[in-house]
Amino acid sequence: MTSDSSAPASVSAISPVTADTTAHLQVRFKTESGRLLLLLPPEDATASGWADVLQQLKHRLNSGDRFWQPYTAVHLVARDRLLDVRQLQTIADTLTPYQLQLKRVYTSRRQTAIAAVTIGYSVEQHVPIAHLNPPTEAGQALADPLYLQTTVRSGVEIRHPGTVVILGDVNPGSSVVADGDVIIWGTLRGVAQAGAAGNSRSLIMALRMEPTQIRIATQVARAPETPPTQYYPEVAYVSSEGIRIARASEFSKARLLPQPT
Amino acid sequence: MSRIIVVTSGKGGVGKTTCTANIGMALARRNHRVAVVDADFGLRNLDLLLGLENRIVYTAIEVLTGECRLEQALVKDKRQPNLALLPAAQNRTKDAVTPEQMKQVVDEIAKSYDYVLIDSPAGIEMGFKNAVASAHEALVMTTPEIAAVRDADRVVGLLEANDIRKMHLIINRLRPAMVQQDMMMSVKDVQEILAIPLIGVIPDDEKVIISTNRGEPLVLSPNISLAGIAFNNIVRRLEGETIPFLDLTAAHDDLFTRIRRMFRNRN
Repeated sequence: MTSDSSAPASVSAISPVTADTTAHLQVRFKTESGRLLLLLPPEDATASGWADVLQQLKHRLNSGDRFWQPYTAVHLVARDRLLDVRQLQTIADTLTPYQLQLKRVYTSRRQTAIAAVTIGYSVEQHVPIAHLNPPTEAGQALADPLYLQTTVRSGVEIRHPGTVVILGDVNPGSSVVADGDVIIWGTLRGVAQAGAAGNSRSLIMALRMEPTQIRIATQVARAPETPPTQYYPEVAYVSSEGIRIARASEFSKARLLPQPT
Repeated sequence: MSRIIVVTSGKGGVGKTTCTANIGMALARRNHRVAVVDADFGLRNLDLLLGLENRIVYTAIEVLTGECRLEQALVKDKRQPNLALLPAAQNRTKDAVTPEQMKQVVDEIAKSYDYVLIDSPAGIEMGFKNAVASAHEALVMTTPEIAAVRDADRVVGLLEANDIRKMHLIINRLRPAMVQQDMMMSVKDVQEILAIPLIGVIPDDEKVIISTNRGEPLVLSPNISLAGIAFNNIVRRLEGETIPFLDLTAAHDDLFTRIRRMFRNRN
Protein backbone atom coordinates (compact mmCIF):
# COMPACT_ATOMS: atom_id res chain seq x y z
CA MET A 1 0.00 0.00 0.00
CA THR A 2 1.76 3.09 1.15
CA SER A 3 5.20 3.44 2.59
CA ASP A 4 3.46 3.51 5.93
CA SER A 5 2.70 -0.16 5.88
CA SER A 6 6.22 -1.05 4.91
CA ALA A 7 7.47 0.94 7.84
CA PRO A 8 8.56 -1.03 10.92
CA ALA A 9 5.29 -2.52 12.08
CA SER A 10 6.53 -2.80 15.60
CA VAL A 11 3.22 -3.52 17.17
CA SER A 12 0.56 -6.13 16.90
CA ALA A 13 -3.00 -5.09 17.50
CA ILE A 14 -5.07 -6.57 20.27
CA SER A 15 -8.84 -6.40 20.37
CA PRO A 16 -10.03 -2.80 20.52
CA VAL A 17 -11.29 -1.51 23.82
CA THR A 18 -13.62 1.32 24.49
CA ALA A 19 -11.67 4.39 25.35
CA ASP A 20 -12.03 5.95 28.72
CA THR A 21 -13.80 9.10 27.65
CA THR A 22 -14.40 10.52 31.08
CA ALA A 23 -10.82 11.51 31.60
CA HIS A 24 -10.22 12.25 35.22
CA LEU A 25 -9.27 15.83 35.60
CA GLN A 26 -5.98 16.64 37.21
CA VAL A 27 -4.42 19.74 38.68
CA ARG A 28 -3.72 22.11 35.81
CA PHE A 29 -2.13 25.45 35.15
CA LYS A 30 -3.61 27.66 32.51
CA THR A 31 -2.79 31.15 31.36
CA GLU A 32 -5.70 33.37 30.54
CA SER A 33 -5.15 36.93 29.42
CA GLY A 34 -1.90 37.31 31.34
CA ARG A 35 -3.05 35.64 34.52
CA LEU A 36 -1.95 32.24 35.69
CA LEU A 37 -4.88 30.09 36.71
CA LEU A 38 -4.42 27.06 38.93
CA LEU A 39 -7.29 24.69 38.28
CA LEU A 40 -8.06 22.08 40.88
CA PRO A 41 -10.06 19.00 39.93
CA PRO A 42 -13.67 19.16 41.11
CA GLU A 43 -14.43 17.20 44.24
CA ASP A 44 -16.62 14.59 42.55
CA ALA A 45 -14.65 14.06 39.35
CA THR A 46 -11.87 12.20 41.05
CA ALA A 47 -11.48 9.76 43.83
CA SER A 48 -8.26 11.61 44.43
CA GLY A 49 -8.01 13.05 47.88
CA TRP A 50 -6.14 16.06 49.11
CA ALA A 51 -2.80 14.20 49.22
CA ASP A 52 -3.09 13.33 45.53
CA VAL A 53 -4.01 16.87 44.57
CA LEU A 54 -0.99 18.20 46.43
CA GLN A 55 1.28 15.65 44.81
CA GLN A 56 -0.02 16.50 41.35
CA LEU A 57 0.48 20.18 42.06
CA LYS A 58 4.10 19.60 43.08
CA HIS A 59 4.70 17.46 40.03
CA ARG A 60 3.29 20.09 37.67
CA LEU A 61 5.33 22.80 39.35
CA ASN A 62 8.51 20.73 39.14
CA SER A 63 8.06 19.97 35.49
CA GLY A 64 7.25 23.44 34.31
CA ASP A 65 9.28 25.77 36.47
CA ARG A 66 11.10 27.28 33.49
CA PHE A 67 7.97 28.91 32.23
CA TRP A 68 6.89 31.13 35.04
CA GLN A 69 8.03 34.66 35.51
CA PRO A 70 8.99 35.55 39.08
CA TYR A 71 6.19 36.96 41.23
CA THR A 72 3.43 35.89 38.93
CA ALA A 73 0.07 36.14 40.62
CA VAL A 74 -1.81 32.86 40.74
CA HIS A 75 -5.56 32.67 40.71
CA LEU A 76 -6.80 29.47 42.27
CA VAL A 77 -9.87 27.97 40.66
CA ALA A 78 -11.08 25.65 43.38
CA ARG A 79 -14.45 24.88 41.78
CA ASP A 80 -16.58 22.92 44.25
CA ARG A 81 -13.60 21.61 46.17
CA LEU A 82 -13.77 22.16 49.88
CA LEU A 83 -10.58 23.75 51.17
CA ASP A 84 -9.83 24.77 54.72
CA VAL A 85 -7.40 27.41 55.90
CA ARG A 86 -4.59 24.90 56.37
CA GLN A 87 -4.98 23.48 52.87
CA LEU A 88 -5.05 26.93 51.27
CA GLN A 89 -1.93 27.81 53.22
CA THR A 90 -0.25 24.60 51.99
CA ILE A 91 -1.04 25.53 48.39
CA ALA A 92 0.42 29.00 48.91
CA ASP A 93 3.52 27.55 50.58
CA THR A 94 3.98 25.05 47.77
CA LEU A 95 3.87 27.86 45.20
CA THR A 96 6.34 30.10 47.05
CA PRO A 97 9.61 28.29 46.11
CA TYR A 98 8.61 28.72 42.46
CA GLN A 99 8.13 32.44 43.04
CA LEU A 100 4.44 32.20 42.42
CA GLN A 101 2.05 34.07 44.66
CA LEU A 102 -1.45 33.02 45.44
CA LYS A 103 -3.67 36.08 45.08
CA ARG A 104 -7.24 35.23 44.38
CA VAL A 105 -9.50 32.24 44.96
CA TYR A 106 -12.48 31.33 42.83
CA THR A 107 -14.85 28.92 44.49
CA SER A 108 -18.42 27.79 44.52
CA ARG A 109 -18.27 26.66 48.14
CA ARG A 110 -19.16 28.99 50.94
CA GLN A 111 -16.76 27.38 53.43
CA THR A 112 -13.83 27.66 51.05
CA ALA A 113 -14.66 31.31 50.44
CA ILE A 114 -14.71 32.00 54.17
CA ALA A 115 -11.41 30.18 54.68
CA ALA A 116 -9.79 32.15 51.86
CA VAL A 117 -11.03 35.45 53.23
CA THR A 118 -9.77 34.54 56.69
CA ILE A 119 -6.17 34.34 55.49
CA GLY A 120 -6.47 37.38 53.29
CA TYR A 121 -6.97 36.30 49.69
CA SER A 122 -9.48 38.03 47.50
CA VAL A 123 -12.33 35.71 46.77
CA GLU A 124 -14.82 35.31 44.00
CA GLN A 125 -17.68 33.07 44.83
CA HIS A 126 -19.97 31.90 42.09
CA VAL A 127 -22.97 29.65 41.96
CA PRO A 128 -22.19 26.18 40.66
CA ILE A 129 -24.61 26.15 37.73
CA ALA A 130 -22.09 24.75 35.32
CA HIS A 131 -22.06 21.42 37.10
CA LEU A 132 -25.82 20.93 36.89
CA ASN A 133 -25.89 20.73 33.13
CA PRO A 134 -22.58 19.35 31.94
CA PRO A 135 -21.78 19.86 28.26
CA THR A 136 -23.50 17.17 26.27
CA GLU A 137 -22.46 18.26 22.77
CA ALA A 138 -20.23 15.75 21.03
CA GLY A 139 -17.71 18.30 19.87
CA GLN A 140 -15.58 19.90 22.51
CA ALA A 141 -12.52 22.03 21.95
CA LEU A 142 -9.28 20.55 23.22
CA ALA A 143 -7.49 22.27 26.04
CA ASP A 144 -4.19 24.05 25.44
CA PRO A 145 -1.26 21.66 25.09
CA LEU A 146 0.37 20.59 28.32
CA TYR A 147 4.13 20.95 28.23
CA LEU A 148 6.14 19.12 30.87
CA GLN A 149 9.86 18.89 31.36
CA THR A 150 10.25 15.87 33.56
CA THR A 151 10.88 12.17 33.73
CA VAL A 152 7.49 10.56 34.12
CA ARG A 153 8.27 7.90 36.68
CA SER A 154 6.56 4.68 37.65
CA GLY A 155 3.25 5.31 39.38
CA VAL A 156 2.70 8.73 37.84
CA GLU A 157 -0.28 9.21 35.56
CA ILE A 158 -0.63 12.29 33.43
CA ARG A 159 -4.06 13.05 32.06
CA HIS A 160 -4.88 16.05 29.98
CA PRO A 161 -7.85 17.02 27.83
CA GLY A 162 -5.56 18.16 25.03
CA THR A 163 -2.16 17.43 23.56
CA VAL A 164 0.65 16.46 25.92
CA VAL A 165 4.28 17.26 25.18
CA ILE A 166 6.87 15.68 27.46
CA LEU A 167 10.51 16.61 27.43
CA GLY A 168 11.96 13.58 29.16
CA ASP A 169 11.42 9.85 29.42
CA VAL A 170 8.17 8.09 30.18
CA ASN A 171 9.22 5.15 32.33
CA PRO A 172 7.62 1.72 32.71
CA GLY A 173 4.74 1.73 35.17
CA SER A 174 3.62 5.23 34.27
CA SER A 175 1.00 6.41 31.83
CA VAL A 176 0.22 9.44 29.74
CA VAL A 177 -3.37 9.90 28.66
CA ALA A 178 -4.23 12.74 26.29
CA ASP A 179 -7.33 13.70 24.38
CA GLY A 180 -5.04 15.05 21.68
CA ASP A 181 -1.60 13.83 20.59
CA VAL A 182 1.17 12.52 22.84
CA ILE A 183 4.61 13.82 21.94
CA ILE A 184 7.56 12.48 23.88
CA TRP A 185 10.93 14.05 23.36
CA GLY A 186 12.64 11.12 25.02
CA THR A 187 12.03 7.41 25.42
CA LEU A 188 8.53 6.03 25.77
CA ARG A 189 8.66 2.93 27.97
CA GLY A 190 5.33 3.20 29.75
CA VAL A 191 1.76 3.37 28.52
CA ALA A 192 0.69 6.18 26.20
CA GLN A 193 -2.83 6.91 25.06
CA ALA A 194 -3.70 9.51 22.46
CA GLY A 195 -7.17 10.58 21.43
CA ALA A 196 -8.59 9.30 24.69
CA ALA A 197 -11.89 11.02 23.92
CA GLY A 198 -12.20 9.01 20.71
CA ASN A 199 -10.25 10.88 18.04
CA SER A 200 -8.59 8.13 16.03
CA ARG A 201 -6.55 10.64 14.04
CA SER A 202 -4.47 11.35 17.13
CA LEU A 203 -0.80 10.41 17.10
CA ILE A 204 1.83 9.22 19.52
CA MET A 205 5.38 10.34 18.81
CA ALA A 206 8.55 9.43 20.63
CA LEU A 207 12.25 9.72 19.97
CA ARG A 208 12.56 6.15 21.06
CA MET A 209 9.50 3.89 21.08
CA GLU A 210 9.75 1.07 23.62
CA PRO A 211 6.24 1.25 25.01
CA THR A 212 4.59 -1.18 27.36
CA GLN A 213 1.42 -0.45 25.44
CA ILE A 214 0.07 2.26 23.18
CA ARG A 215 -3.53 3.20 22.70
CA ILE A 216 -5.08 5.51 20.16
CA ALA A 217 -8.81 6.16 20.46
CA THR A 218 -10.32 2.66 20.65
CA GLN A 219 -7.27 0.76 19.44
CA VAL A 220 -4.70 -0.95 21.62
CA ALA A 221 -1.29 -2.26 20.63
CA ARG A 222 1.69 -3.59 22.45
CA ALA A 223 5.36 -3.67 21.59
CA PRO A 224 6.63 -6.70 19.69
CA GLU A 225 8.08 -9.56 21.71
CA THR A 226 11.46 -9.14 20.09
CA PRO A 227 12.78 -5.61 20.43
CA PRO A 228 14.17 -4.00 17.29
CA THR A 229 17.93 -3.79 16.93
CA GLN A 230 17.94 -0.09 16.27
CA TYR A 231 15.69 2.72 17.36
CA TYR A 232 14.55 5.77 15.42
CA PRO A 233 12.17 8.57 16.26
CA GLU A 234 8.80 7.07 15.43
CA VAL A 235 5.17 8.00 15.04
CA ALA A 236 2.25 5.74 15.90
CA TYR A 237 -1.01 6.26 14.06
CA VAL A 238 -4.21 4.42 13.30
CA SER A 239 -4.56 2.87 9.88
CA SER A 240 -7.29 0.65 8.55
CA GLU A 241 -5.44 -2.38 9.99
CA GLY A 242 -5.07 -0.93 13.44
CA ILE A 243 -2.19 0.91 15.04
CA ARG A 244 0.93 1.17 12.89
CA ILE A 245 4.26 2.74 13.56
CA ALA A 246 6.29 4.67 11.03
CA ARG A 247 9.68 6.26 11.19
CA ALA A 248 9.25 9.94 11.91
CA SER A 249 11.39 10.95 8.96
CA GLU A 250 9.13 9.04 6.59
CA PHE A 251 5.83 9.68 8.31
CA SER A 252 5.36 13.31 7.43
CA LYS A 253 6.51 12.81 3.85
CA ALA A 254 4.25 9.84 3.31
CA ARG A 255 1.32 11.94 4.38
CA LEU A 256 2.23 14.88 2.20
CA LEU A 257 3.44 13.31 -1.02
CA PRO A 258 1.13 11.36 -3.28
CA GLN A 259 2.14 7.71 -3.14
CA PRO A 260 3.27 5.88 -6.26
CA THR A 261 1.21 2.71 -6.49
CA MET B 1 25.20 21.02 59.66
CA SER B 2 24.68 17.30 59.80
CA ARG B 3 23.59 15.31 56.82
CA ILE B 4 20.41 13.26 57.13
CA ILE B 5 20.35 10.56 54.49
CA VAL B 6 17.62 8.01 53.92
CA VAL B 7 18.48 4.67 52.33
CA THR B 8 15.48 3.45 50.40
CA SER B 9 14.49 1.24 47.48
CA GLY B 10 10.79 0.49 47.26
CA LYS B 11 11.35 -3.20 46.69
CA GLY B 12 12.36 -5.43 49.55
CA GLY B 13 15.52 -7.48 49.74
CA VAL B 14 17.73 -5.35 47.53
CA GLY B 15 20.17 -4.54 50.31
CA LYS B 16 19.01 -1.37 52.08
CA THR B 17 19.88 -2.58 55.55
CA THR B 18 23.21 -4.14 54.56
CA CYS B 19 24.12 -0.95 52.80
CA THR B 20 23.11 1.25 55.75
CA ALA B 21 25.20 -0.86 58.12
CA ASN B 22 28.26 -0.78 55.89
CA ILE B 23 28.07 2.86 54.90
CA GLY B 24 27.43 3.83 58.52
CA MET B 25 30.43 1.84 59.68
CA ALA B 26 32.67 3.14 56.91
CA LEU B 27 31.70 6.74 57.70
CA ALA B 28 32.37 6.20 61.39
CA ARG B 29 35.80 4.78 60.57
CA ARG B 30 36.54 8.03 58.76
CA ASN B 31 36.10 9.84 62.06
CA HIS B 32 32.58 11.10 61.65
CA ARG B 33 30.00 10.82 64.34
CA VAL B 34 27.36 8.63 62.74
CA ALA B 35 23.91 7.56 63.91
CA VAL B 36 22.04 4.85 62.02
CA VAL B 37 18.29 4.87 62.55
CA ASP B 38 16.21 1.79 61.87
CA ALA B 39 12.84 2.96 60.53
CA ASP B 40 11.62 -0.56 59.90
CA PHE B 41 9.24 -0.83 62.84
CA GLY B 42 8.02 -4.36 63.38
CA LEU B 43 10.65 -5.94 61.12
CA ARG B 44 13.88 -4.53 62.44
CA ASN B 45 17.12 -5.99 61.13
CA LEU B 46 19.75 -3.32 61.31
CA ASP B 47 20.72 -4.32 64.86
CA LEU B 48 21.46 -7.87 63.63
CA LEU B 49 23.67 -6.70 60.80
CA LEU B 50 25.68 -4.59 63.20
CA GLY B 51 25.76 -7.39 65.79
CA LEU B 52 24.12 -5.18 68.38
CA GLU B 53 20.88 -7.12 68.96
CA ASN B 54 21.77 -8.11 72.52
CA ARG B 55 22.52 -4.56 73.62
CA ILE B 56 19.14 -3.03 72.89
CA VAL B 57 17.28 -1.82 75.96
CA TYR B 58 15.12 0.99 74.67
CA THR B 59 13.81 1.74 71.17
CA ALA B 60 12.56 4.77 69.28
CA ILE B 61 9.07 4.18 70.67
CA GLU B 62 10.23 4.63 74.25
CA VAL B 63 11.96 7.85 73.23
CA LEU B 64 8.75 9.12 71.69
CA THR B 65 6.59 8.20 74.64
CA GLY B 66 9.09 9.81 76.98
CA GLU B 67 9.94 6.59 78.81
CA CYS B 68 13.63 7.20 78.27
CA ARG B 69 15.98 9.86 77.06
CA LEU B 70 17.32 9.75 73.52
CA GLU B 71 20.88 9.04 74.71
CA GLN B 72 19.62 6.00 76.58
CA ALA B 73 18.06 4.49 73.48
CA LEU B 74 21.06 5.08 71.22
CA VAL B 75 23.19 1.92 71.23
CA LYS B 76 26.91 2.57 70.87
CA ASP B 77 28.68 0.21 68.53
CA LYS B 78 30.90 -2.34 70.22
CA ARG B 79 33.84 -1.77 67.83
CA GLN B 80 33.46 1.79 66.68
CA PRO B 81 32.72 4.47 69.32
CA ASN B 82 31.71 6.94 66.60
CA LEU B 83 28.75 4.82 65.52
CA ALA B 84 25.40 4.65 67.28
CA LEU B 85 22.18 2.84 66.45
CA LEU B 86 18.65 3.93 67.22
CA PRO B 87 16.72 0.67 67.08
CA ALA B 88 13.14 0.36 65.93
CA ALA B 89 10.53 -1.31 68.09
CA GLN B 90 9.96 -4.90 67.10
CA ASN B 91 6.61 -5.29 68.85
CA ARG B 92 4.86 -2.50 66.94
CA THR B 93 3.84 -1.83 63.36
CA LYS B 94 4.71 1.04 61.04
CA ASP B 95 1.56 2.89 62.05
CA ALA B 96 2.78 3.28 65.62
CA VAL B 97 4.80 6.33 64.57
CA THR B 98 3.84 9.38 62.55
CA PRO B 99 6.17 11.21 60.15
CA GLU B 100 6.12 14.22 62.49
CA GLN B 101 7.29 12.14 65.46
CA MET B 102 10.00 10.53 63.38
CA LYS B 103 11.16 13.93 62.20
CA GLN B 104 11.27 15.14 65.77
CA VAL B 105 13.48 12.24 66.89
CA VAL B 106 15.80 12.42 63.90
CA ASP B 107 16.23 16.18 64.19
CA GLU B 108 17.13 15.67 67.83
CA ILE B 109 19.76 13.06 66.89
CA ALA B 110 21.12 15.33 64.16
CA LYS B 111 22.10 17.89 66.77
CA SER B 112 24.93 15.70 68.04
CA TYR B 113 25.92 13.64 64.99
CA ASP B 114 27.55 14.49 61.65
CA TYR B 115 25.63 11.88 59.71
CA VAL B 116 22.23 10.34 60.34
CA LEU B 117 21.50 7.36 58.12
CA ILE B 118 17.90 6.21 58.06
CA ASP B 119 17.21 2.64 57.00
CA SER B 120 13.83 2.75 55.27
CA PRO B 121 11.55 -0.28 55.18
CA ALA B 122 10.37 -1.72 51.86
CA GLY B 123 7.19 -0.34 50.40
CA ILE B 124 5.86 3.17 49.96
CA GLU B 125 3.37 3.26 52.81
CA MET B 126 3.60 4.64 56.32
CA GLY B 127 7.04 3.20 57.03
CA PHE B 128 8.48 4.89 53.96
CA LYS B 129 6.78 8.18 54.81
CA ASN B 130 8.25 8.01 58.30
CA ALA B 131 11.71 7.30 56.96
CA VAL B 132 11.77 10.15 54.45
CA ALA B 133 10.04 12.73 56.64
CA SER B 134 13.23 14.23 58.01
CA ALA B 135 15.74 13.33 55.31
CA HIS B 136 17.59 15.92 53.25
CA GLU B 137 19.05 13.49 50.78
CA ALA B 138 18.54 9.94 49.68
CA LEU B 139 20.46 6.89 48.57
CA VAL B 140 18.24 4.89 46.25
CA MET B 141 19.13 1.21 46.16
CA THR B 142 18.29 -1.13 43.35
CA THR B 143 19.45 -4.40 41.88
CA PRO B 144 19.76 -4.86 38.12
CA GLU B 145 16.30 -6.44 37.85
CA ILE B 146 13.30 -4.85 36.17
CA ALA B 147 11.09 -5.23 39.23
CA ALA B 148 13.60 -3.54 41.51
CA VAL B 149 14.27 -0.80 38.96
CA ARG B 150 10.60 -0.03 38.50
CA ASP B 151 10.07 0.19 42.25
CA ALA B 152 13.14 2.39 42.59
CA ASP B 153 11.71 4.61 39.86
CA ARG B 154 8.48 4.98 41.82
CA VAL B 155 10.46 5.82 44.93
CA VAL B 156 12.48 8.46 43.09
CA GLY B 157 9.21 10.07 42.03
CA LEU B 158 7.92 10.01 45.60
CA LEU B 159 11.16 11.46 46.96
CA GLU B 160 10.90 14.31 44.44
CA ALA B 161 7.35 14.89 45.62
CA ASN B 162 8.69 15.04 49.18
CA ASP B 163 11.14 17.75 48.13
CA ILE B 164 14.21 15.55 48.45
CA ARG B 165 16.25 16.62 45.45
CA LYS B 166 19.66 15.27 46.33
CA MET B 167 19.50 11.64 45.34
CA HIS B 168 22.13 9.09 44.48
CA LEU B 169 21.79 5.66 42.99
CA ILE B 170 23.44 2.51 44.29
CA ILE B 171 23.25 -0.57 42.13
CA ASN B 172 23.65 -3.65 44.25
CA ARG B 173 24.33 -7.27 43.46
CA LEU B 174 25.64 -6.78 39.96
CA ARG B 175 27.08 -9.86 38.27
CA PRO B 176 29.55 -8.65 35.67
CA ALA B 177 29.73 -12.05 34.02
CA MET B 178 25.97 -12.11 33.46
CA VAL B 179 25.98 -8.56 32.16
CA GLN B 180 28.64 -9.50 29.63
CA GLN B 181 26.55 -12.40 28.42
CA ASP B 182 23.63 -9.96 28.11
CA MET B 183 21.62 -11.86 30.70
CA MET B 184 21.43 -9.04 33.22
CA MET B 185 20.66 -5.35 32.98
CA SER B 186 23.85 -3.33 32.84
CA VAL B 187 24.66 -0.32 34.96
CA LYS B 188 23.95 1.84 31.93
CA ASP B 189 20.51 0.27 31.39
CA VAL B 190 19.52 0.98 34.99
CA GLN B 191 20.89 4.49 34.89
CA GLU B 192 19.07 5.24 31.66
CA ILE B 193 15.71 4.54 33.28
CA LEU B 194 16.28 6.08 36.68
CA ALA B 195 18.16 9.15 35.48
CA ILE B 196 19.75 10.05 38.81
CA PRO B 197 23.49 10.28 39.53
CA LEU B 198 25.22 6.99 40.30
CA ILE B 199 27.30 6.81 43.46
CA GLY B 200 28.24 3.16 43.56
CA VAL B 201 28.01 -0.30 42.07
CA ILE B 202 28.33 -3.24 44.43
CA PRO B 203 29.13 -6.61 42.90
CA ASP B 204 27.30 -9.72 44.01
CA ASP B 205 29.42 -11.26 46.70
CA GLU B 206 28.94 -14.32 48.93
CA LYS B 207 30.93 -12.60 51.63
CA VAL B 208 27.96 -10.26 52.16
CA ILE B 209 25.87 -13.17 53.40
CA ILE B 210 28.63 -14.33 55.74
CA SER B 211 29.12 -10.83 57.14
CA THR B 212 25.37 -10.40 57.61
CA ASN B 213 25.10 -13.63 59.56
CA ARG B 214 28.05 -12.74 61.74
CA GLY B 215 26.88 -9.21 62.41
CA GLU B 216 30.22 -7.89 61.17
CA PRO B 217 29.92 -5.25 58.44
CA LEU B 218 32.02 -6.07 55.37
CA VAL B 219 34.03 -2.90 55.56
CA LEU B 220 35.56 -4.14 58.83
CA SER B 221 37.05 -7.36 57.48
CA PRO B 222 40.86 -7.28 57.27
CA ASN B 223 40.94 -8.87 53.80
CA ILE B 224 38.50 -6.45 52.30
CA SER B 225 36.45 -7.91 49.47
CA LEU B 226 35.46 -6.18 46.25
CA ALA B 227 32.04 -5.40 47.73
CA GLY B 228 33.72 -3.91 50.77
CA ILE B 229 35.89 -1.70 48.55
CA ALA B 230 32.73 -0.64 46.72
CA PHE B 231 31.16 0.44 50.03
CA ASN B 232 34.25 2.40 50.99
CA ASN B 233 34.22 4.12 47.61
CA ILE B 234 30.57 5.06 48.05
CA VAL B 235 31.40 6.71 51.34
CA ARG B 236 34.28 8.64 49.83
CA ARG B 237 32.08 9.80 46.95
CA LEU B 238 29.42 10.77 49.48
CA GLU B 239 32.01 13.07 51.01
CA GLY B 240 32.65 14.69 47.69
CA GLU B 241 35.75 12.83 46.50
CA THR B 242 35.94 11.79 42.88
CA ILE B 243 36.77 8.10 42.77
CA PRO B 244 36.73 6.13 39.55
CA PHE B 245 34.21 3.30 39.56
CA LEU B 246 35.55 -0.19 40.13
CA ASP B 247 36.23 -1.87 36.86
CA LEU B 248 33.70 -4.67 37.16
CA THR B 249 32.51 -5.20 33.63
CA ALA B 250 35.58 -4.92 31.46
CA ALA B 251 37.98 -7.83 31.69
CA HIS B 252 36.24 -8.93 34.84
CA ASP B 253 37.64 -12.45 34.67
CA ASP B 254 41.15 -11.19 34.98
CA LEU B 255 40.31 -8.77 37.76
CA PHE B 256 38.33 -11.27 39.79
CA THR B 257 40.83 -14.05 39.42
CA ARG B 258 43.62 -11.67 40.19
CA ILE B 259 41.94 -10.53 43.38
CA ARG B 260 41.01 -14.04 44.39
CA ARG B 261 44.58 -15.13 43.79
CA MET B 262 45.76 -12.24 45.87
CA PHE B 263 43.52 -13.30 48.76
CA ARG B 264 44.51 -16.93 48.47
CA ASN B 265 48.14 -16.00 48.67
CA ARG B 266 47.52 -13.92 51.73
CA ASN B 267 45.51 -16.50 53.64
